[in-house]
Amino acid sequence: MSGIIEAKGLCKVYLRGREEIQALRNVDFSVEAGEFISIIGPSGSGKTALLNMFGCLDTPSSGSLRLNGIEIAGLKERDLVKLRRENIGFVFQQFYLMPTLTARENIELPLLFSKKSGSKKRIDEVLQMVGLADRGDHLPGQLSGGEMQRVAIGRAIINDPKIILADEPTGNLDSVTSEMIFGLFSELNKRGLTLVVVTHNLDLARRAEKMYSLRDGRIVSCEERACAEVV
Amino acid sequence: MNFFTLAAKNLQRRRGRTMLTVIGVAIAISVLFSLLALNSGYEKELSKEVNSLGVHILAVPKGCPYEAASLIMHGGVIPKYLSDSDYQNVSTIAGVELASPMLLHQFMKKDEKTGVSTPHIIYGINMEETRKLKPWWTVEGRFFSDNEKGVMLVGRGLADKENLSVGQVLPVGPKKENFTIVGILDRTGDQDDQFHFFPLKEAQRVFNKQGMITTIAVKVRDVSRIAAVSQEMEKIPDIQVVTMTQIMGTIMNLAGSARSLLLTVIAIALIISAFGIINTLLMSVNERTREFGMMKAIGASGLDIARMVLAETVFITLLGGILGTVAAVVGSSIIESFVKGMLPYSPGGSLISYSPQLVGFALAFSVLLGLVCGIYPAVKSSRLSPMEAIRGGFE
Ligand SMILES: Nc1ncnc2c1ncn2[C@@H]1O[C@H](COP(=O)(O)OP(=O)(O)OP(=O)(O)O)[C@@H](O)[C@H]1O
Ligand SMILES: [Mg+2]
Repeated sequence: MSGIIEAKGLCKVYLRGREEIQALRNVDFSVEAGEFISIIGPSGSGKTALLNMFGCLDTPSSGSLRLNGIEIAGLKERDLVKLRRENIGFVFQQFYLMPTLTARENIELPLLFSKKSGSKKRIDEVLQMVGLADRGDHLPGQLSGGEMQRVAIGRAIINDPKIILADEPTGNLDSVTSEMIFGLFSELNKRGLTLVVVTHNLDLARRAEKMYSLRDGRIVSCEERACAEVV
Repeated sequence: MNFFTLAAKNLQRRRGRTMLTVIGVAIAISVLFSLLALNSGYEKELSKEVNSLGVHILAVPKGCPYEAASLIMHGGVIPKYLSDSDYQNVSTIAGVELASPMLLHQFMKKDEKTGVSTPHIIYGINMEETRKLKPWWTVEGRFFSDNEKGVMLVGRGLADKENLSVGQVLPVGPKKENFTIVGILDRTGDQDDQFHFFPLKEAQRVFNKQGMITTIAVKVRDVSRIAAVSQEMEKIPDIQVVTMTQIMGTIMNLAGSARSLLLTVIAIALIISAFGIINTLLMSVNERTREFGMMKAIGASGLDIARMVLAETVFITLLGGILGTVAAVVGSSIIESFVKGMLPYSPGGSLISYSPQLVGFALAFSVLLGLVCGIYPAVKSSRLSPMEAIRGGFE
């Protein structure tokens, strides 16, 4: 069975002036639907480049990348937008919430772009899911870091994506809050969502089913979690 | 939530800056709106005034410039006269339905209480003909007949101002002869409200202007023959002919040059405010590069981003347009007196006339302004590559 994300010989070259930077070199990568994957690696190893590619924010320089069976290399911007809307939810290290919108409105924002009508019930449901049922009318400035990240996660799942891509989602959070965010990820994973999380925190990374290590644009190891989860 | 409410909320982030831009637009739109309101009001008042003469052609003494003809409409006095034979010649021209000689005399009268002298105008007229020219005239008291002596009519405006009533006797002329007010003309809404009217012969006698005529008002039988009739009149040596269309045209031309000056000022104001808007937008767009990247990551297309930026601009300019229109309406009297000072000739009534269409136009124009100003920033932000945007690079 082919995975929901299938990368073969994926390369990404950036130009910085005349200098060529090989952000990704020949990466093979496969994610099955419903998996919880983490990616670790030193700074500059290409983690963000890889994740952006998965999220159709960027296209490969060479190699092949299939998302849900669709080859994205060579796709037009319009099709990339559609693919992204239907399949991907993004979570960032800096949250990127709109400061003038309430938690509820921030969560609602993707619906504006996907032209789906967001019933109040659906938004309440998502607020509930991320544990902010009573904070819906607060502005980001009135929320803690962990709460803001939960709003961002709510925003990522409102469109019912198949995959959540998170780039260092706990990079700005303390360890307890980070734990909570990972707890939320596990919960989403149990509901059937596929998760790919980039993190610097090894302990948290180990809580995923698979942990990939990236170095200099190459995957150097893949660790599978010891099957029996300690409950 | 829609693009417009999102735009409104985005603009709240830089309230001071947004408000300054809005005010810039408001000023430009209010000036534009006032000018257009004034323009339509001016034309309306002017043609009303010209029509109220009930006259198609005026014969004036040669050498009398067109502007003098417009002076006549307001009762100005020209130190040149036509003669009775001119009048006879004019009235025999084919196509002339009615020719009515008039003598204008102006004198200063001192107000007893305030001591301020104001010009008063006496019109010597043939009542019978004048009533044919101005069939709308009605009177409190009675009209005089052409052979009566020592009688006058006064306009309602004048009567109110100076507390005149029917039956009152006023001393007139160098010899302070007694004239009785036999009637007060009902309000006409034009300059007739401010005049004294005497039988022509009496006016000529009292002011020592026997046989002198200031102007001959002509009504033609067929409006399409105005040009032909005025050509015939030109053949009379003493006479210069002014048609009402010429008067209108001259005045409109004079007003037109004042107007184009104003239009230039407005164009400059609009261009300045347009650059202000574009600058504000580019600033706010540059500041939000990462945010746009995020939006693309959560499903926005380039078009969505462009639409959001455009909505923000239109929001600013529409708000400015509404504010500007309201300000123009509220401040219309100030603007009117300012503009009246700039115009070469201004009719008596209110010059500013608003119509719903004009309000609609002003608002539509402000939306258009927003769209035009928003295009560049919108296109610029829509072209951002999402990944570059998230990394924070713009340019
Ligand atoms: N748009 C770009 N232009 C030029 N170079 C780029 C660009 N994007 C990424 N790179 C380079 O590609 C390499 C991989 O970058 P990437 O952001 O993926 O690293 P990372 O693993 O996410 O690092 P970090 O942990 O610091 O976020 C780096 O050397 C980076 O400088
Ligand atoms: Mg990174």
